[in-house]
Amino acid sequence: MKQMPAEYYQLMEQLQAVDFVLVELTLYLDTHDDDLEAVKQFNHYVKERKRIKKAFESQYGPLQQFGNSYSDFPWNWNDSPWPWQV
Amino acid sequence: MSTHLKTYHPYVSPFDPCKPILEKKYSTPPHLYMGFQPPNLPQFTPVEALKAGTLWKDFYDTWYSPYEKPNRGGHQS
Repeated sequence: MKQMPAEYYQLMEQLQAVDFVLVELTLYLDTHDDDLEAVKQFNHYVKERKRIKKAFESQYGPLQQFGNSYSDFPWNWNDSPWPWQV
Repeated sequence: MSTHLKTYHPYVSPFDPCKPILEKKYSTPPHLYMGFQPPNLPQFTPVEALKAGTLWKDFYDTWYSPYEKPNRGGHQS
């Protein structure tokens, strides 16, 4: 029975938290386009998300498909766990 | 930071079979009282923001029903 290690869930939660911050900041910046602090924070979290994504994908395979993630060899984006199985 | 609780008084009909509820309370979110969001509001950390449902502390609303006994900490009604 394939079990994902604890780190898998920690990285996933970090990614989820950073994604949420990015969503909030995007909505905020839609109406506050001259807020330099928020734009700086947004770019900081974009960089952070790329770092987390790189760390996650190097260990657990691609997160998204159709060119949004590099692929491992052999082709394994359809391996379990799927998002609803996590 | 407390949620703004508002009350209203439902109409009670003489033919009402059950015990009438004289006053009903509902909580209103902080967004109503803020208007255009000022910049540089205090924020949660990302993980906290995920749990709180918002990035900015001023918008956090525990949204507890007044009839529900406060089981979680930080309950301000």
